[in-house]
Amino acid sequence: MSNPYVPLLFLLAIGGGFAVFSVGAAAVSGPKRYNRAKLDAYECGIEPTPQAAGGGRVPIKYYLTAMLFIIFDIESVFLYPFAVAFNQLGLFALVEMVLFILTVFVAYAYVWRRGGLEWD
Amino acid sequence: MTGLGEQIMFWILAPISVLGALGLIFAKKAVHAALGMALVMINLGIFYIAQEADFLGIIQIFVYTGAVMMLFLFVLMLVGVDSSDSLVETLKGQKWAGALLILGLAALLFTAIGRAQFGPMKGLSSVNESTGNVSGVADLIFGKYVWTFEITSALLITAALGAMVLAHRERIGAKPSQRAWSERRILENRNVAGLPAPGVYARSNAVDTPALLPDGTPSELSVSRVLTAREQNVAPARHIESEHDIEHEIEEGSQR
Amino acid sequence: MSTLTYATQALAQAPFADNPSTDFTDTPWWLHLVKALFVFVFLLVNTLIVIWFERRVIGRMQQRPGPNRTGPFGLLQTLADGVKLALKEDLTPKNADKVVFALAPAIAGAMAFVSFAIIPLGPTVSMFGHRTPLQLTDIPVAVLLVLAVAGVGVYGIVLAGWSSGSTYPLLGGLRSTAQVISYEIAMGLSLVAVFLYSGSMSTSQIVGAQKDLWYILPLVPSFLVYVVTMVGETNRLPFDLAEGEGELTGGFHTEYSSLKFAMFFLGEYVNMFTVSALATTMFLGGWMAPPGIAAINDGMFNHGWWGLLWFVIKLWLFMFFFVWLRGSLPRVRYDQFMRFGWKFLIPVTLAWVVVAAFMKASQLGYIAGPSLTFNGREFPVVSIAFVVVLAGAVLVIAWLRDNKKIEQDAIRNTPPPEEIDPFAGGYPVPPLPGQRLKEPSLAISAGDTATDKEATRG
Repeated sequence: MSNPYVPLLFLLAIGGGFAVFSVGAAAVSGPKRYNRAKLDAYECGIEPTPQAAGGGRVPIKYYLTAMLFIIFDIESVFLYPFAVAFNQLGLFALVEMVLFILTVFVAYAYVWRRGGLEWD
Repeated sequence: MTGLGEQIMFWILAPISVLGALGLIFAKKAVHAALGMALVMINLGIFYIAQEADFLGIIQIFVYTGAVMMLFLFVLMLVGVDSSDSLVETLKGQKWAGALLILGLAALLFTAIGRAQFGPMKGLSSVNESTGNVSGVADLIFGKYVWTFEITSALLITAALGAMVLAHRERIGAKPSQRAWSERRILENRNVAGLPAPGVYARSNAVDTPALLPDGTPSELSVSRVLTAREQNVAPARHIESEHDIEHEIEEGSQR
Repeated sequence: MSTLTYATQALAQAPFADNPSTDFTDTPWWLHLVKALFVFVFLLVNTLIVIWFERRVIGRMQQRPGPNRTGPFGLLQTLADGVKLALKEDLTPKNADKVVFALAPAIAGAMAFVSFAIIPLGPTVSMFGHRTPLQLTDIPVAVLLVLAVAGVGVYGIVLAGWSSGSTYPLLGGLRSTAQVISYEIAMGLSLVAVFLYSGSMSTSQIVGAQKDLWYILPLVPSFLVYVVTMVGETNRLPFDLAEGEGELTGGFHTEYSSLKFAMFFLGEYVNMFTVSALATTMFLGGWMAPPGIAAINDGMFNHGWWGLLWFVIKLWLFMFFFVWLRGSLPRVRYDQFMRFGWKFLIPVTLAWVVVAAFMKASQLGYIAGPSLTFNGREFPVVSIAFVVVLAGAVLVIAWLRDNKKIEQDAIRNTPPPEEIDPFAGGYPVPPLPGQRLKEPSLAISAGDTATDKEATRG
């Protein structure tokens, strides 16, 4: 029992079991009365639109946000080991890290300047 | 040093990963494919952790959940919510070219891996105990691979550039504010109270149906210019009919 | 090499603090299971109480009693609501993707519980005759585990939005995703400073490193950023844009009913506990007693089960803060929210990380410079100078803002002119109270426009 991930698995099993049980129980615990209107998409009482505008496509804007998220995510991923091991890494690592942050900041400044962070 | 627990875990998770990977290729709906990919990525992370590479494993989950999320959005953006992939080939002969490339890659991989010489298994436990897993990674990043690390930033800049070029729509001129709009309306003295809203009926309303003026005629001003140009406007009569339908159905449902 | 020499070597290389300081050698597997069950029940009971607590406190803030009928003080209200939810009809819309529609609440519910495993609830205690830490488990990358699990949990939201086959949930799900991923960056960056100071990502080491000084003091900027992002991450007011009732009805869970809806509800509250517990662990010294109390009787209150008490108190301070926010702030607009995240939080946190790294470097002696000793602590001159410069800058900015405000007030408070020309700007303006109407200059302005037209024509 030396592996620290086993207790984690216990908790995941308990929590997951509870969630799956609840979702399953939902199907049997409540009443069932058929009504076609109930199974329609909810649009505040109006007749639901047969298909969302533009075939249900979402604005490309979200893609840009997701891409920027990945860029900064990777930057922070490099920051974690740097921060943890800073005690023994020395000044060289600090300089390298600042260089790295500055370079990524160029990308950030470019996106900001072109208006990629504007949300309208 | 493969323990029993690790073996059990492998034989459970490996088939699941393979199923996820197959789902990625064969799923009809693009979103299901993205889900299959997420499953594979999370399983990979767990495998890394089982190999005692804690940091790498967690980072795999941390970064790839985000990356797959991006794929997900990309899919929603390209093919829409419920349309599945079209199976019509747009590039002629791409299946054959693809098969050829796959064969070539497989041959390359098999020869390369088949000729590789494996030393005795080392494991990470000694590193984890003396240096610490994360510090070990840091020593490598800021030691042996510092140049690679710095180059990564160039890669990130390229990614930002690419995303901007692909996904960003340049705005020409400043966006008029709400205040500017209202000032213009009043100065021009046209539609001072705003344009009339599209059709609102007792139980339904729709952007493509013109509103009725007090005298009963439809107002063209109330629907979008785009819809009018595409001739997608609808006469209000439809809504009055559907209202009756719904009423009828609800009565039926309550009797059932 | 025997294990003993190995251990002494590891001790000799003291700066390596990656690995957790907790000792689970005296914990049999069934005790792990008992502890996992304890964490699960702890979270469930706390959720039941916090929903009641929130409604009562919000009620007080809005000058009404809140739920007070079911059980003493209305304490059983949440339980009654839960039972009622279970007895409601479970609907699956006809446009929905059936499998994913059921999968999404299960993901949201299951993932919420996992992160709490690495939170230290207290020091080592005796349990059923075994000495075991009051913490389910600890790993060298514990804090990253919380972030990774949060990343998986987002799938519950986005899948719920997509699979409902309806417009409002889709928009709510997308918004929520963009919101959570935007604030996750700032959250991750704000924690970097903590790792810099503690030299570890294991929660037990981080709590141990705060024995002398809670990180909220040296790392205030990180703490502030974290508090903002934790509200954004959990989709709580004033950042609950994903379920803004006025715009998107229920957001991603519009189409959900019965226990599936309850899973999302539960997930949201458990997530609140998780981020609060992480804040407690990272910045408020975890289960450590507050400074004054810690000194009593040779640190008596820092041992055994006392730790759980301090932890729960700190946790509930954050929960009260969440409720307080909800009671006082209106919802922000989506573009304001995104602008704040991307254009303020991220660059500021990045800059702060660099500053913190330099401060740490001067502490470690990487950057040569004299240091002052005060009250047994060493303060490098560089960091003192930095604090002084920062305080000066804040003072100057505050002074400039104040000046500007005085000017604006002066403009705002100038009394309106006694007479007013109602048609001066080209469109009618009614007089303010106490103003006299001048003869309208309609004729003159009409003449003006006439000459204008002539001028353009000419």
